[in-house]
Amino acid sequence: MKKILVIDDEAIVRTSCERALGPEGYEVKTVASGREGVDLLRKESFGLVLLDLKMPDMDGIEVLNLINTNWPNTKVVMVTGYSTVETAVQALRLGAYNFIEKPFTPDTLVAAVKEVFENSGDIKKD
Amino acid sequence: MKTIFNFRNPEKSIATKLVIAIGLLMIIVSFIFWYAILKKQEKDIRSIAVKYGGSFVNFTKDSIHHSLLTFQREETQRVLETLATPEGVRRVRIYNHEGTILFCSHKQSVGQIIDKNSVACKGCHVEPAKSPALLQTPQIWSVYKDKGATHLKIVGAIPNGPDCYTASCHAHPKEQNTLGFVEADLSLAFLDEALFKQGLALTAYVVIFVIAVSVFLGIIIYKIVSRPVRDLVSGMEEVAGGNLDYSVSIKSADEMGVLAQTFNSMIKDLKAARDQSEKFTQTLEAEVARKTEEIQKTHTNLMQTEKLASLGRMAAGVAHEINNPLTGVVTFAYLLKKRFPPNSLESEDLNVIIEQAERCSKIIKNLLTFARATPSEKGKVSINDILSRTIFMVQNQEKFHHIKFNINLETFQFIIVGDPSQFQQIFLNMFINAADAMNGRGNIFVSTRRMTENNKAYVEIEFTDEGSGIKEEDMPKLFEPFFTTKPVGKGTGLGLSVSHGIVKHLGGYIKVQSAVGKGTSFFVRLPLAEEGK
Repeated sequence: MKKILVIDDEAIVRTSCERALGPEGYEVKTVASGREGVDLLRKESFGLVLLDLKMPDMDGIEVLNLINTNWPNTKVVMVTGYSTVETAVQALRLGAYNFIEKPFTPDTLVAAVKEVFENSGDIKKD
Repeated sequence: MKTIFNFRNPEKSIATKLVIAIGLLMIIVSFIFWYAILKKQEKDIRSIAVKYGGSFVNFTKDSIHHSLLTFQREETQRVLETLATPEGVRRVRIYNHEGTILFCSHKQSVGQIIDKNSVACKGCHVEPAKSPALLQTPQIWSVYKDKGATHLKIVGAIPNGPDCYTASCHAHPKEQNTLGFVEADLSLAFLDEALFKQGLALTAYVVIFVIAVSVFLGIIIYKIVSRPVRDLVSGMEEVAGGNLDYSVSIKSADEMGVLAQTFNSMIKDLKAARDQSEKFTQTLEAEVARKTEEIQKTHTNLMQTEKLASLGRMAAGVAHEINNPLTGVVTFAYLLKKRFPPNSLESEDLNVIIEQAERCSKIIKNLLTFARATPSEKGKVSINDILSRTIFMVQNQEKFHHIKFNINLETFQFIIVGDPSQFQQIFLNMFINAADAMNGRGNIFVSTRRMTENNKAYVEIEFTDEGSGIKEEDMPKLFEPFFTTKPVGKGTGLGLSVSHGIVKHLGGYIKVQSAVGKGTSFFVRLPLAEEGK
């Protein structure tokens, strides 16, 4: 299952992800907020969530915690425009699989996504 | 002060007062002497006159002795008239014990009775009119004034003698002691004249003496009091006017000299005090100027910091928002690029778009780092370790392939409290700048050393390159954000300003030395947490 959920408040980021990953054979769904994302996760299951770190209503870290608790098989890659060693380390500690910085190229995105699905059998990193 | 000696009103001066006082005293004393001398003179001359008057009376007695004895009355009268001829003899007369005038040079007085109060009676008798009692010491002469002239009346007794009571006329019995009296009235005009002349001469002497003494005294006082006082007063006026180089030149050993010396030493002390105070004022002014400059500098720094901080906040906000559209730009440029064959013109153009978008991203990243100068992960870090790791990291990069690193690190483990990634960022930035300045070729010298400044221990990390150097006019702008001398697209102008921000936040600073064409040295000084072993 190569279903990907993109949670980002920026439409252009959502579209970019769709357009970059779609042609690579991934099923991409997008939502504009953490709350919508959690709602959708309750209905459908996703292999990967591309999660924006900073969003208005529900923070990325908060959503990450929820996903880790409720859907442990769903991997999370943080997407951040505010990348610092600090936030990245925090995200990884909280159980994010990886993180990519904005602005990313389609190649970077695809490579990061590919890595997730290729290693999906691995034990989740702490 | 001027009341000590008043030059404008000499009559009020000490000298004048002293001269007047002493002059008056001298006049009084001289007058007493003058009076005493005159009185004495008068007395002396009078006694001489009395002596001569007595002689004259005796001479008269002798002259008439014979005519009286022979009872020749006309002869006696004639002798008396002759005796009264000289100018000084006013009258000569003879009267008996009862006071009846028997003979007189003024013939018309013969037969008259003299006054009982006349000197002839009172000279011997206590009370001539009542009793025959005699005085202990007879006074047979008297001086009296008549019409302004002085006269001497002198009486001599004609004693009884053997030839008198044995004379044929039998006029006098033997028992009678005194036969009568000769009285001479003599003029003492010569005495008046002599005394007047004496008085005149004495007065002249006194006046001359008083004047001479006064003048002499005046000169002395002027020399030993007035002149020194005047000098002192003018000295005081000079000093009051601010001239402290003045000194009073009074060399005398008296009180004035001591006063002048004391005054001079006072001026000297005053001058020393003034000089010291002036020096102190100057030091104070310099100190104020220095402090003012310091405050201005601090103020400028503060303004700069505040400017940077607000700029950072703004940049962070903008940067975050810009990353999202940039993602779109990059993604869609990529997608579009895939539709064209590689190496096609379109593909190349799209590459430019992607590169420029990535450049934007890089600028933003730097901006964000700049905005976040506070350390994220604080801990004790070893400067040597981080430096070694950073050098190792950059040596493997293409940019540094032709650069030789000359490393001279102290064996001390300099321990600093801070975020290791921030130190790495500073060092990396130093190396990139050095490499850019040398166009990728040359030597980079890195060294560390311990130093103390204001009792605080610092580690100094030196980065020296052999690059183009920094122009003098660029020096002040070196740490300003967005200031760069690198070609467009190569530098963002944030590296040094970010480094500066981090170092300052840690309580350190960056020092720069540069020579155009020779190279640049950056000295990063960071306060030590504790000294490693």
